Amino acid sequence: MRKLSADVVVVGGGATGSGVVRDCAMRGYKAILVERGDLGHGTSARFHGLLHSGGRYVVADPESGAECARENAILKRIHADAVEATGGFFFQIEGDDESFADKFIEGAKIAKLPYQEITAAELLKREPRCNPKATRVMEVEDGTIDGWQLVWGACRSAEAYGAQILTYHQVTGIDVVGGKVQSVRCLDRKSGEEVVIDTAYVINCSGPWAGQVAALAGCHDVNVVPGRGVMVAMSHRLVNSVVNRLVKPADGDIIVPVHTVCIIGTTDVKVEDPDNLELPRAEVQKMLDAGELMVPGFRESRAVHAWAGARPLIKDDRVDASDTRHMSRGMAILDHETRDGVGGILTIGGGKLTTYRLMAKNITDVMVEKLGDDRPCRTDQEPVPGSENGKNYQVSHRLHDREEDRLEDQIICECELMSRKMFTELLRANPDASFDDLRRQLRLGMGPCQGGFCSLRATGIACAEGGWSADKATAALRLFLKNRWIGLWPILHGDQLRQAALDSWMISGTLNVESLPASEEVVL
Amino acid sequence: MSSQGYSALGFAGHELARASLDHCVKCTICETQCPVLAVTPLFSGPKFVGPQAERYRHGLSVDHSLDYCSSCGTCTLVCPQGVKIAELNSQARAVMKAGHMPLRDKLISQTVVMGKLMTPFAPIANAALNVGPIRSLVQGVIGIHKKAPMPKANSRTFMGWWKKHTPAQPATKGKLIFFHGCAGGYFEVDTSIKSVEVLEHLGYEVVVPKQGCCGLAQQSNGLYHEASANVVKLAKELQAAGDVTIISSSGSCTGMLKHEAHEIMGVTDPALADVGARVRDIMEFLLELDEAGELPHDFQPIKMTVPYHAPCQLKGQGMGLPALEVLKLIPGLTVVESGAACCGIAGTYGLKKEKFDVAQAVGKPLFDMIKATNPDYAICDTETCRWQLRKGTGATVDHPIALIHRSLGLS
Amino acid sequence: MSQVIVIGAGLSGLVAAIKSAEGGQQVTLISKGLGGLQLSQGTIDIHEQGLAGLESPAPHPYAAIGAENVLAGVKYLAKLLGPEFLVGDAKKNVYLPTAVGAIRPTALIPPSMAAGSVRDGAKWLIVGLRRLKDFNASLIAGNLSRLELPGGGSLSARALTIDVVAREGEVDSSALTFARAFDTPDFRQRLVAAIKPELQPGEAVGLPAILGVKQHDFWRELQASLGCEVFEIPLPPPSVPGMRLNEALTAKAKALGVRFVLGSYVSGFTAAGGKLVSVTVATTGAPQEFKADKFIYAPGGFESGALAMDSHYEITEKVFGLPLHGVAPVEELILPDYWDEQPVFKVGVSVDKQMRPLDAAGKPVYANLHAIGGIIGGAIRWKEKSGEGIALGSAWAATEGSENV
Repeated sequence: MRKLSADVVVVGGGATGSGVVRDCAMRGYKAILVERGDLGHGTSARFHGLLHSGGRYVVADPESGAECARENAILKRIHADAVEATGGFFFQIEGDDESFADKFIEGAKIAKLPYQEITAAELLKREPRCNPKATRVMEVEDGTIDGWQLVWGACRSAEAYGAQILTYHQVTGIDVVGGKVQSVRCLDRKSGEEVVIDTAYVINCSGPWAGQVAALAGCHDVNVVPGRGVMVAMSHRLVNSVVNRLVKPADGDIIVPVHTVCIIGTTDVKVEDPDNLELPRAEVQKMLDAGELMVPGFRESRAVHAWAGARPLIKDDRVDASDTRHMSRGMAILDHETRDGVGGILTIGGGKLTTYRLMAKNITDVMVEKLGDDRPCRTDQEPVPGSENGKNYQVSHRLHDREEDRLEDQIICECELMSRKMFTELLRANPDASFDDLRRQLRLGMGPCQGGFCSLRATGIACAEGGWSADKATAALRLFLKNRWIGLWPILHGDQLRQAALDSWMISGTLNVESLPASEEVVL
Repeated sequence: MSSQGYSALGFAGHELARASLDHCVKCTICETQCPVLAVTPLFSGPKFVGPQAERYRHGLSVDHSLDYCSSCGTCTLVCPQGVKIAELNSQARAVMKAGHMPLRDKLISQTVVMGKLMTPFAPIANAALNVGPIRSLVQGVIGIHKKAPMPKANSRTFMGWWKKHTPAQPATKGKLIFFHGCAGGYFEVDTSIKSVEVLEHLGYEVVVPKQGCCGLAQQSNGLYHEASANVVKLAKELQAAGDVTIISSSGSCTGMLKHEAHEIMGVTDPALADVGARVRDIMEFLLELDEAGELPHDFQPIKMTVPYHAPCQLKGQGMGLPALEVLKLIPGLTVVESGAACCGIAGTYGLKKEKFDVAQAVGKPLFDMIKATNPDYAICDTETCRWQLRKGTGATVDHPIALIHRSLGLS
Repeated sequence: MSQVIVIGAGLSGLVAAIKSAEGGQQVTLISKGLGGLQLSQGTIDIHEQGLAGLESPAPHPYAAIGAENVLAGVKYLAKLLGPEFLVGDAKKNVYLPTAVGAIRPTALIPPSMAAGSVRDGAKWLIVGLRRLKDFNASLIAGNLSRLELPGGGSLSARALTIDVVAREGEVDSSALTFARAFDTPDFRQRLVAAIKPELQPGEAVGLPAILGVKQHDFWRELQASLGCEVFEIPLPPPSVPGMRLNEALTAKAKALGVRFVLGSYVSGFTAAGGKLVSVTVATTGAPQEFKADKFIYAPGGFESGALAMDSHYEITEKVFGLPLHGVAPVEELILPDYWDEQPVFKVGVSVDKQMRPLDAAGKPVYANLHAIGGIIGGAIRWKEKSGEGIALGSAWAATEGSENV
C-alpha cells in the first residue's frame, strides 16, 4: 500500500478534472488527480474537436454564446498549441428556414459575438466542396481543438505547480468520517497496488461516471444521464474551416477539420452505461447523409474511423434552480454537504469542452469559498507548457517538422508523420503505457492505414528500446489492433474496406500475427 | 493561409487529384518504381509527397524537398489504386513556387521563345552552348547545369520546310492535322518532317495550322496560369484547322493535350476536351491503322538491334507502347525495350543545376543498357529524352518514326 | 487484334498471359497499375493445411479449380522460374519465420529462405538493421523463442541489431533501398564484417529479405563468407522477394511478346450472343476499344478495388457487374471482433471448371470470360494462406485444355 496526502483530490482526468487540478494547483493547493484510465480517454476527446465560437448557441441562449466566445479567445491563448484558428461558417441550403438566419443575427448581436454575413459565392470560394445550393452564410470564429492535447497541457501545467497526476488509478472508496471526507482509496491498475490519499476535499469530475464516484462517498442518486454522440472521421480535410448548418441544432450538422482529418458529428441518444457505448451503423448512416448534404460527394469520400462519446448530463432535482451563482450554462455543481450531508466533496457535470476552464474556475471557487480562503483564479493568465510562444497549431506543422528531421530520424507512423524519436521519448517517459495511450498524444495509427503499417514498427521499437519482452509487446500489438477495429468496423466500406483488406494481407498474410502464442503479460 | 496558395490551387484541377488520395492504401508500389527516390534520399518519395503530405496541405507547401520530384509521372502510372500522385506533387509544387519562381524555371519553360531566339543564330548558339566557360556563365546566372543536355538549334524550322514543301504524291485518303510541338518545330525538325512524309506516303492529306506552345514546360515548372492560357490557345488553333484526327510526333505535348492540362491544372475548356480526344501520337495512330487492317505491310528489312526507351510522358497516356508493336512489322529489326522508368531529364528537370546529378544518376542504368544493346543507335519518342540519351550515350537517338521512314524507303 | 486479353497484372494475370503466349496466342495485358504480386511475401502458399486444404468443399475456390489444377499451376510456375527462384514440394508445407516472430506455413519458397524452415533445436541469430524500421530483431527472436513448433519442439533465437548503412545521408531506408545496396559488393562486405564477430558456433543467421534485387543468389555468397546457414525473412511491403517474382514474370511475358497496356482501367465492354466482344479501356484523351476472342479477368479482390462496397453496403464487381457469391446483410459480413473471421472477404464470383463466372442459374455469364485469382469468392486467402494456390490453380484451369484454347 502506498500512502499519499493532498489538500484536494480531483477524480477524473478529462477536461474538467484537468482544469480543476490545474486551477487548484495554481491557487496553491496540494492537488492530486486520479484517473482510472489514461488522461482524456473518456468524453473529453470523444467529440468532434470543435472550439465553439458561440454561434451554435446564439439563437437558443445568447448568454451561453457569449460565454463560449470569451472562453474561445482565452483557450486560443493558453492552449495555443492545441488550437487551430480555422474560422467557421454557418450556412443555409436552399429550402432551410430562412428566418433562422435572422434569429442568428439577432442572437449574435445580443451576445456581442464576432460574425459577418458573407455571400454564398464567397463561401464556395473559401470552401469549394460545400453544397453549391448554399444561400445565407455567417462567418464566425470557430476553431478546432485537440482534446487530448488540452488535457495533457492542463495537467503538465498543474504538475509544474506541484500537482500529482495519477493515471490508471481507479477510485475504489472514499472514506467519510464524521460527515466529512477523510481519504480516497485507489487501485493502481498497472501495479495492482492499493493507494490511500489522505485529503479533506474531493472534487468529482468524472463526467458520465460521476454518479458512481459520488456513491462511493455515500452520496446517492446523482442522476447522470449519458447522451451518446457518434462521430465519423474522414481521411482528409474536405473542408478547412468548421462548417455548420445554419438551422436549429440537429444530428450531424457540423463538419470540423481537426489535424489531418475532418469529423462529422453528432447524434444524441440516451444510454444507460457510459462504459458500453455502441456505435450503431444506423447512426453512422445518419452522419453520412448529413455530410452529403453539406459537402456533396461526402459518401464517396473515405471514412476512416468512428467513435462515440457520452455527454455527462446531470439531471438532479435536488439542485436549487435559483442558485446560479456558480453555474455555467449547461453545467451543474452539486454540493454534497448541503445535498447529502457529506462535507468535503463536490460533483460537477454537464458543460462543454470550450468552457472547461470556466467550469473548473467555478467549482474551484466553490471549494475556496467553503474553505474560507481568498485565492483568486489565474488560469486565464498564463499559457500551459508548450503554448508559451502563443502560436496556434497549423495542419502543416508535422509536415514541416519532418521536412526538418526526416533525414536524421525515421518516420514510424507515415500517415500521421510520427517520428521514431517522438515515440521513443514518450515511451521512455511512460514505460507502462499501452499503444493507445501513446496514440492519444502522438496520433500513432490514426491515419488512413489505421495501424496496418505502423503497429508492427511500434511493437518492434517497444521491444528493442522500451525494454519490453516480446511477450508484452505482442500483447500490446494485439490490444492495439483490437481497439482500432472497434472504431473501424461500423464505418467499413469503400476505400477503408480496401485498406482493411491490404492490412489483413500484411498482418495475417505476411506476418501471421494471429498464430502467435498468447501472451502471459496483460497490457491495459 | 497564403493567398498565393489559394490562387494556385483555385486554378488547379486540384479537387480531382485531392479526392483521389482517398484511394491510397500505402502499398509502396509507387515508391519502388520512383526513379528519383532510387538514386537520392533528398526526395522523400511519391507516396510521402503525394497522398501523405497532401493531407497536411492547406494552401502551404512547407516540404520544399518535393521539388526533387521530376514530374515523370511514373508513380501515377504504376499506382494500382488510381491515386493521382504525380498530379498532387505537381500542384503542391505550383503552390510552393507561386510568386518566387526562379528566372531559370521561367526561361526554360518558355520553349518557343528559346527556340525562336536560337534559330537564326544556330551555329553560334550551338557553339556557345558547347563552350564550357559560356555554359558556366549560363549556369551561374540562370541555374542550368553546364553539362546539361541542351537542344541543338536547327538552322531551319519545321515551318520553314513546310512552306516550301509539296507532297510527293497526291492524297488518296482523308485529311489529318499535324501538330509539331515547339521542339518539333525548332529543334527536332527532322522528326516532324519524317512524320509528315510518312503520313503523306500513306496517302493522307496533311495540314499544318499555325500553332503555339502547349505549355507543358511551364506546367512542369509550376507556371499554371501561363500554361493554361497557352494550351487553350493551342487547342483553339488546332480546332480551327478542322474536325479530323490530329497527329503529333511529340509524345509529351500529346500527353499535355490528352490529359495533363485537365488533370493537373483543371483546364476545362471545351476546345481542349475536343482536341484532346482527337489527338494521336503518330505511333499510336499507325497501330490503330494496323489493327483496323489499313496499314500496308510493305516495310523493307532493317537488320539491326535497337534499344527503345519509352518516355514517361508517353507511358503516362495509358495506351501501352505503340512503337513497340508497330516496329515489330519491320523485318529484321529487333527492338529491345529499356525497361527503365525514366531517362532522368523529365522535361526540363535534368537541365537544372541542382538536379543535374540526380538526373544523371537516374539515367545511368538506361545509358548502360543502350551502350550494351547498340552503342550507336537508339530510339525514343520525346525530344528532351533524346537530348538526354544522346548526351549520356553518344549514340544517335531518333524518334521511332525515323525507322518507319527508312523502312518505307523514304530515307 | 489480340486473341487473348488479360486484365490484371498480379500473379494469376501474369501467369495466364505467359501461358497463353507460350501457347502461341497474341496476348494483350491491361492493368491499372503494377500488380499485387510485389506486395506479397514472395513464397507460394497453397493452404495452411497442406494437401487436405485442396479438398475444401464449395464454395471454396479449390472446389471449382480442383486439386490437380492447383498442383499443375504451381508446378508450371516452378518450372517457368526454375530453382533459382522457387524450391520445395507443393505437396508438403514448410514453416518459415515471419517479421513479427511467428511462423507461417507455405509450400514453395525462394532458396534464400530455405534455411529458415523451422526445426526443433535450431539455433538462430536474427539480425536486424537499425535503419530498417520494418524488421525488429528483438521482437522476432523473442517471439520465435517462446513458441512451440508444429509437431512439437522449440528453437532458440537471439537478436542482433547492427547499423550498416545502405545509403549515406538517410536513416530511414526501405527494404528496397537495402536490397539495392546489397547488389553492391561493398555493402555485402560491411554486412559480413558486422555480423561475423557476433556469430556463435552452430547458429544460422536470419536476415530481413533484402539480399539483392537485381541478383538474388547472394545468400550463397553470404553463407560462404559467414560460414553458416543464412536465410531471408519476408517483410511487409515493399517486399523484395515479391518484387523479384513480379519482375521475373513481367520480363518473361514481355519476352514472349505480350503487349502491356499499363496505367489505364477497363471502363466498359461490349457483348453479343452470350460472348464478350471487346473491352473499353480509359486511355487518356479518348477511350480505346480492345477486341479479343477470349478474356481473362484477374483483377484481385477487395484490396485492389475490383470488388467494392459502397457507403450503403452494397457490394459490386466493378468492371463487368458480375453476380457475386456470399453477399449478405452487412451485419453478417463485417463483425465487431477484430479476431473474428470477416465474411465480407469471402464475397466474390463463383466459377465453373473453366473459371467462367456463373450467374444465379449456374450458367456462365459470358462464354469467353474467365475470372481468376482474388476475384473468386469463397476463401479468406490471407488467413488460410491460399492466395498463390488459388491464383495459379485458376490461371492454369482458365488456360489449359482444348476447350480453353
